[in-house]
Amino acid sequence: MRISGIYSVLAGLIFVAIPAVMIGGEQESISLEEKRKLAEWPDFRWDDWVSGAYGSGVDAYFDDHLPGRNAVIRWADGVKWAWGLHPAVREHKVLVKPAKREQIDTSGGDSARMNYLQDFDESYSGEMLIIDGAVFTQNSGNPAMSPAFAKMLNEYAEKLAGHTRVFSCVAPLSSAFIPVQKYRRYYQRNKATLDAIRDHLDGPLFCDVLGEMTARQDQKLFFGSDHHWTARGAYGGYAAFCKAAGFAPVPLEQMQRKVKTGFLGSLYALTRDASVRDHADTFEYFKPRVEASAVRFGESGLDHPIKSSVFCDGFQGSSCYMTFICGDAPLVKISTGVKNGKKAAVVKNSMGNAFSVYLVSHYEEIWVFDFRYSKHVMLDIIAQEEIDDLIFALGMYGAMSSGTIHMMRKLGEGGVGMRPRPVHNDTAPVPPAAPNRDSSAILVPQIVPQSQDTNGQ
Amino acid sequence: MVFSSLAFLYGFLPLCVLLYYATRVMAIRNLTLLLFSYLFYAWGEPFWVLLLAFSSVFDYANGLLIAKFRGTWKAKAVMVGSVLVNFGMLAAFKYGGFIYDNINLLISLPFPRPEVDLPIGISFYTFQTVSYTLDVYRNEVKAQKNFVAFMMFVSMFPQLVAGPIVRYNAVESQLLQRDFNWDRIWSGVNRFAFGLFKKVFVANATGALVAKYLEGSLMNLTAPDAWIGIALFSIQLYFDFSGYSDMAIGLARMFGFELEENFRHPYAAISVADFYRRWHISLGRFFRDYVYIPLGGNRRMQDRNIFVVWALTGLWHGASWNFVMWGLYFGVFMLIEKYSMPVLNKTPRVLKHIYTLILIVFSRSIFYYVDFGQLKEFWRHLFYGRSYLSEAMVMDLYNHAFLLVLAVLLCIPWDEIFPQAGEKWKPVYKWISLPVALAMVAVSTVLLVGDTYNPFIYFRF
Repeated sequence: MRISGIYSVLAGLIFVAIPAVMIGGEQESISLEEKRKLAEWPDFRWDDWVSGAYGSGVDAYFDDHLPGRNAVIRWADGVKWAWGLHPAVREHKVLVKPAKREQIDTSGGDSARMNYLQDFDESYSGEMLIIDGAVFTQNSGNPAMSPAFAKMLNEYAEKLAGHTRVFSCVAPLSSAFIPVQKYRRYYQRNKATLDAIRDHLDGPLFCDVLGEMTARQDQKLFFGSDHHWTARGAYGGYAAFCKAAGFAPVPLEQMQRKVKTGFLGSLYALTRDASVRDHADTFEYFKPRVEASAVRFGESGLDHPIKSSVFCDGFQGSSCYMTFICGDAPLVKISTGVKNGKKAAVVKNSMGNAFSVYLVSHYEEIWVFDFRYSKHVMLDIIAQEEIDDLIFALGMYGAMSSGTIHMMRKLGEGGVGMRPRPVHNDTAPVPPAAPNRDSSAILVPQIVPQSQDTNGQ
Repeated sequence: MVFSSLAFLYGFLPLCVLLYYATRVMAIRNLTLLLFSYLFYAWGEPFWVLLLAFSSVFDYANGLLIAKFRGTWKAKAVMVGSVLVNFGMLAAFKYGGFIYDNINLLISLPFPRPEVDLPIGISFYTFQTVSYTLDVYRNEVKAQKNFVAFMMFVSMFPQLVAGPIVRYNAVESQLLQRDFNWDRIWSGVNRFAFGLFKKVFVANATGALVAKYLEGSLMNLTAPDAWIGIALFSIQLYFDFSGYSDMAIGLARMFGFELEENFRHPYAAISVADFYRRWHISLGRFFRDYVYIPLGGNRRMQDRNIFVVWALTGLWHGASWNFVMWGLYFGVFMLIEKYSMPVLNKTPRVLKHIYTLILIVFSRSIFYYVDFGQLKEFWRHLFYGRSYLSEAMVMDLYNHAFLLVLAVLLCIPWDEIFPQAGEKWKPVYKWISLPVALAMVAVSTVLLVGDTYNPFIYFRF
């Protein structure tokens, strides 16, 4: 056989071997690196064939199940990077497409892992800025949306008046802390958005999260490869909450510090940028030295608690952020050794996970509601459990979307109403929470005796 | 289905080649190729398979009828009927909305605008079937009696959806008799790998840059941005379309067919006329043989003939006045070149090359913006935009220097510059061709994973 014949046969064997391995090899169902469910071979249905959906499904299957896919994707990043890589270029922008949401498991379910995958917000599509291997969104909030979020909080404050304090603890976006002067405008817009929330609050207490984070901006506040804040960034949120609530924050130095390496999160999955991969995050977290345990519940009801934990130390790699309260769940109940009778409820998206763990130093019980998944009647739980503080701790994306605001409002529907209850002797009285017009005024929160409550109870 | 998808590369293609070569019986091979071609076409647009089948069956019958009635008025009637039905089909599916819009401007039509999706490849296979019928009528080819062979000629998947437009006489002898030849098969694999590389490595990557400059709001576009954007689009278009043609020619060789070349280093052209002898050659040949020459060619009313051909060429590309304008734009320059030949002949080659490139690159703007309002806005930036180099543009050029240099190198006609080198290095290349081809396929595969949406630009025609 001539050389061309040998080469043809060899090339043919390779082309046949790849699909053979694809069919015969072990089938992954989830890509943790890309944080999405991989496509399955579509069932043949005539309607799908006619509409072209069957063909698209097979295309997606081949795309998702190429042998050694993760390695191939890393090579792809390398090849793409090689076109544009130059040591002098430290800053560049990448356009990212919306996440393949149709491939994301929307079954809800009780898998914390898949819930984490769902957390990715479609707002992250568009142009991302990459500086020294750290990804920053160029979204920086929208003051026009702030009144809608504040209005929803005001409604809660009105319903809970005299019983439960309501806090607005919205975290800024990473764009507020881009370490390049020319992007300072993003900080201003983040600030304008949060200030607009504060200005429209009528009842709830405002946490100056941006102010506290700004005071710590010499530290790493957001991950470079993930859209979440770091434990240090979340500590800024916690410090802001403590100021608003009248607590003294527990210093980080008094907590147990732990570190994991090689964290490549959602923004790496989205951008697949080689410089980000080369600057994988160090995942640092701090455990308050307080005894605490946790259970998680499904999307409704409290009958079937599943044992969980405040910190899941086992998560590694791209799943590091799930260390905090073991990832997202519709409802998590944390019980602590702080026997002061105080209870808090946290309404959050995944940004609230890193925040919630610090609260164990101040409350005997913490109920953490994920507004995206929970169908619990939150007001009933607040009434029955005599919750003292209701804290909205979320990333700004959640506060800027009418869809997510609606989800948070839904949590407050269907309750039987608030009942009078005795005041705990060892806690600060619950104030009617005067509106805060100036963030500096929050430094010393107004604590009003309950007897002065407008409800007169 | 597209060639540059993993499902095609690692599912459809190996299965098709295996089954094709599982038998030595040519009739079964042809049937295999036909069935796979219909599967290929039906992958994304199952409904329009009916149109493809109708077109094939209709002209198969027309060919036989013309042969039967040769020399009588009936043969002419069948030929005219075939042309009318084929172009009527094209008018209905491709130009229905355009025709409606224009009539509606003159008289308000009492019915809504017909909204029909353009069946993929209709411009290509319609021209193939029409050329067949005309060639049979002119007695230049014999009518094909083998039904499967004719169906395969129309619908063979390598050239079905984006050409080249295959003339029947070019493949007539290969439809029923093809030699098994390892050299041809291996050269087909190489050609396919090269086309895939051009499409995935160069066209797709350049396309991402093009979108950055030319899509969305043009408000912040500076004049250099606009020129760079449209130059990048020129690169994308060439590598996208010629990559597809390379893959088509390569695939056809794998199955024993030899298709004619569709590109010959067009960006090395030194005049507009030269450019169109190098670009989309099969389309140019169609208009030359079936429009230009019958109208009188060079002998009678050449200027008119040039304008008619270029207006039709523009219209073939899309149902929009922009495309007609694009065609006439080239018609005008063809005439200018015709009448200034003495001057052009004395002009240095490099100047002629620059002149051609500027005209071609500028013409891509008419090609890119189908909406006239957008086109005007783009031209405003192109000629009157702010003239500073934006930081982002410099960064893009710097970051993509490797890609752009590679694209330019691949546009240079090395075989024309060093005609002897090809023969000299041929034996060496033969030995290294396997790693080279596999490397190109591997790189393309790697780039396709996670980014498989990469339709060909010429699909829309």
